[in-house]
Amino acid sequence: MAQVGLQHFLVVAALLFALGIVCVVTRRNAVAVLIGIELLLNAAGINVVAFARYGGNLLAGSAFALFIIALAAAEAVVGLALIFAIHRRLRSVDLEQTETLKG
Amino acid sequence: MPTLESLPHVLPEVALAVTAAALFVLEALWQPRGRARRVGFPLLALGGLLAALLFLVASPSSAEPRFFGGLLTQDPFSTFVRGVAIVATALAVGLALGSPSLPSNRRVEYHGLLVLLALGMCLLSSAGHLLMIYVAIEIVSLTSYLLAGFDDRGGRSAEAGLKYVLFGGVASGVMLFGFSLLFGLFGDLSLSGLGQALAHSTTLSTGAGRWATLLALVFVLAGLGFKIAAVPFHMWCPDVYEGAPTPFTALLSVGPKAAGFAVLLRFGTGLWPELATDAAAATSALPWLLLLGVMSTVTMTVGNLAAIWQDNLKRLLAYSSIAHAGYMLMGVVAGGREGPGAVAVYLAVYLIMNIGAFAVVSAVDRSAHSEDIGVYHGLGRRAPLLALAMAVFLLSLTGLPPTAGFVGKLYLFASLIHHGGFWYVLLAVVGVLNSVVSLYFYARVLRAMFLESAAGEPAPVSLANSAAALAVVLAVPTLALGIFWQPLAAIANFSGSLF
Amino acid sequence: MDAVVLTGGRLLTLLVFMPSVAGALCALSRSSRAAAVWALLGSGVPLILGAAAVCGFDASAAGFQWVERVDWIPSLGISYHMGVDGVSWPLVLLTLLLTFLSLVYSIGRIQNATRLYYASFLWLETGLMGVFCALDMILFFVFWEWVLIPMYFIIGYWGGARRIYAALKFFLYTMLGSAFMLVALLVTAHLYHQATGAWSFDWADWVAIRDTIDPNLQLWLFSAFAFSFAIKVPAWPFHTWLPDAHTEAPTAGSVILAGVLLKMGAYGFLRFGLPLFPEGAVQAAPVMVGLGLAGILLGAAASYVQTDLKKLVAYSSVSHMGFVVLGIFSFTLEGAAGATIQMVNHGLSTGALFLMVGIIYERTHKRGVTDFGGLAKTMPLYATVSVILVLSSVGLPGLNGFVGEFLVIAGAMKARPLYAFVSALGVILAAVYLLSMVRKVFWGEANANLHGLSDLTWRETAVFLPLLLFIVVIGVYPAPFLEVSEGALKAILEGVAP
Repeated sequence: MAQVGLQHFLVVAALLFALGIVCVVTRRNAVAVLIGIELLLNAAGINVVAFARYGGNLLAGSAFALFIIALAAAEAVVGLALIFAIHRRLRSVDLEQTETLKG
Repeated sequence: MPTLESLPHVLPEVALAVTAAALFVLEALWQPRGRARRVGFPLLALGGLLAALLFLVASPSSAEPRFFGGLLTQDPFSTFVRGVAIVATALAVGLALGSPSLPSNRRVEYHGLLVLLALGMCLLSSAGHLLMIYVAIEIVSLTSYLLAGFDDRGGRSAEAGLKYVLFGGVASGVMLFGFSLLFGLFGDLSLSGLGQALAHSTTLSTGAGRWATLLALVFVLAGLGFKIAAVPFHMWCPDVYEGAPTPFTALLSVGPKAAGFAVLLRFGTGLWPELATDAAAATSALPWLLLLGVMSTVTMTVGNLAAIWQDNLKRLLAYSSIAHAGYMLMGVVAGGREGPGAVAVYLAVYLIMNIGAFAVVSAVDRSAHSEDIGVYHGLGRRAPLLALAMAVFLLSLTGLPPTAGFVGKLYLFASLIHHGGFWYVLLAVVGVLNSVVSLYFYARVLRAMFLESAAGEPAPVSLANSAAALAVVLAVPTLALGIFWQPLAAIANFSGSLF
Repeated sequence: MDAVVLTGGRLLTLLVFMPSVAGALCALSRSSRAAAVWALLGSGVPLILGAAAVCGFDASAAGFQWVERVDWIPSLGISYHMGVDGVSWPLVLLTLLLTFLSLVYSIGRIQNATRLYYASFLWLETGLMGVFCALDMILFFVFWEWVLIPMYFIIGYWGGARRIYAALKFFLYTMLGSAFMLVALLVTAHLYHQATGAWSFDWADWVAIRDTIDPNLQLWLFSAFAFSFAIKVPAWPFHTWLPDAHTEAPTAGSVILAGVLLKMGAYGFLRFGLPLFPEGAVQAAPVMVGLGLAGILLGAAASYVQTDLKKLVAYSSVSHMGFVVLGIFSFTLEGAAGATIQMVNHGLSTGALFLMVGIIYERTHKRGVTDFGGLAKTMPLYATVSVILVLSSVGLPGLNGFVGEFLVIAGAMKARPLYAFVSALGVILAAVYLLSMVRKVFWGEANANLHGLSDLTWRETAVFLPLLLFIVVIGVYPAPFLEVSEGALKAILEGVAP
């Protein structure tokens, strides 16, 4: 079995990123879109950690990854709070139905 | 510069952070009622902002522009943009006084979040490190999402917040992926380090390396383009502007945009230090300027053309703010000393005239409970002073002399043309033609206010509120700076340099 | 008493800004009667000052007179630089006279927002005078655009049925033109910076470096300026805003539009187009002459088919201004002198013709050529004045129109006889459409419902008197009017004369 190297991490990250984009573009459920965004952020996180491990700048990369994790959580909190507010009013989290604004 | 010595240079940010914390803590512990709540907290917020502004003006100059190990970079341009961000926030606090679009029981949170947003904008405009850029953008974004969804009178505001958070999340995700690629390609996170690596690296000599770098830059542009509302990352803008409480929309159209431009400019000069002297040669390997130029053209054209069809003043101003981002991108393309100087002048002018226009919208909204162009019919007769102020703002947004908007455009076009070259002049021509298009929809509002008469018996528009007062006050510099713009020239001269 | 000494050397500043101050007082005054007083003072006092200064103007001097210069934005080399020479001074006087007469005519006729109406005209006057006096390019541009705003409101608020459309069209067209001018202006400033290493927007500085600009580039820059001026003149085919604006504007607005605003474009060619980019102007001359000739012929033809008097006069403006363009681009002293005096003539006679149309419209609410008939009997004084104005417009020897058109044709003859032939055709066409209009309106069977029309009132007559006076004096003894501009025109033609 081949040694796991930088490329493997990058491929995983790229796949995650692509999946995230597909999710964001196709899903009409607000929660699903939020999950897609998390995929994007984590793709970037994997990239950074892998580059840090194999590129030599370990400290900077790891610190960056930690910040990504923390801020992704913060973003999810705010996003979910707003989804809650919408849900209370419309009883739905379907983006097709939130059409007060012309969009 | 090591951490402790860096502290005196970030006193404005410290003041903002302390103020925001104080607002949240006081609200939780004390829960004041009545007068203290209505007046006390806005005053506290204003006091904090004023202190930050004073610290900023008095901030010591330093031979070494990088602080906290390169996380923050301070130069005249960032100092100026921090000033713009703080002043814009203060104006938004003023606009919010007595505004019906803010629930009265959550006023304090509103002010706390505003001050936090100001902190984020300040950090963003002096960020010199990818990590700092990301953190600052998230501070600005997270507070903005919450503030956009603040109005609980209808579904509009929460929906605006949700749209904003989803678009914003995608944009920052894409940008972050771009950051990670840059980190991998050049092994550094600070902009200056990236610049050095870019200059000496062999990555760009291979086709694959160049494509990867280009891809990373496009991803980064997506994130920054989202913050300044440039096409094609602008879709959130009209909906969020319309749904958000008007006092916050006024700030949103100016503050984050200013910080976004600061970071865009710094990103450019960080990666290509020679951008300030010879932009074309500096970026010869990568089509950075071409990307920005195309973005500028498309942004102003789409913004102006879409604005023609809007009947809601807030949406109209949203598309107009997209177009103005396109104008300011011209200054980024121009580069050199003149480009950032022109962007700075335009930001100052735009701060005054755009917040002024939103102040008028807010004042009319308080009486008419609508932002539709129909309620502006006959405003010239019902509230002459307010209509006159709006006329000044609209003419200034069009860029007609003798208003400050003309001076701003003059500097932008001049910086572009001074750069020489056919493509630059062509971009300037696109810019002036766009100004003509913009006249069409700004004149629609003028026409509604002065040339049409109101149908039926419209509600009288009261001038006795903070928004109307602010509008009238802001009209004065809009006109005065158009007639005598030496202060703006000083700004151009001062903030032309980035490190 | 020397008016210039009296004003402490700030004659032009006073002339330009006095109306604006009076305009502000108008807008703030409590009654429309008080506003009328301010309007008359605000336009009358500068007129008197200007008239008093006429003797102080040295026609033999070549350069600018009564120059004022104060630094405005030193870091960009922009200054408040004002001055007049033989080309601009007659236009300044024309502006002063027509604005005053328009306001005198308007008093008591406007019921809606009267105070703002006066104020708009006074603010407009400031812009117009500023355009003719500015010697700094940014200052000029500011005044140039400044004119748009009051005019937009004059047409859009006090105009006819399609006023809003006409006002916007006027605004958009002119701004489109000035957009290109702004870019060309900045490119020239950049070239100046390249040549000297310093910033300047001063007209004289730019003239000094004109030879360093590549001829090809000059053509581009000239074209950008010319586009803006051609819209304003208006030269065919950029004239389509004019019939709408003139027809929809209130009477006094049409007078100022035709009398003064159109001159801004022609003046622009003389002051900026030719001296700043002589080689570009030479290269573009055939096209410009072609546009001038097209304007003369097509304007006349369009006039001929009009059934609305106001439109007829509006299209005749296109034709008459075609002569101005032709005269300028013949690059001969005769042509340029003819163009200059034609500008003044057109201001006087077409302005007055719009007043005539306004007067009859006010009494009958009709403007059709065929709505009238036999007016010579019912309104003899009105008919007499009108016929004199029409004859002046036709170019009858002994009246002012002849002098201008004759000189332009003479200049065109020198440049190329074909031009002279075609333009002479225009004179004949003018006679055809104007005289047939006179026949239909003033002679023939009187329209039955037109009995009992009152003739000109004393105030209306008083408005026409000065105009008629100049029409006759210029026609009979044009020498002093030509001498005023000769020196300045020679300097302007220096770079382009063959």
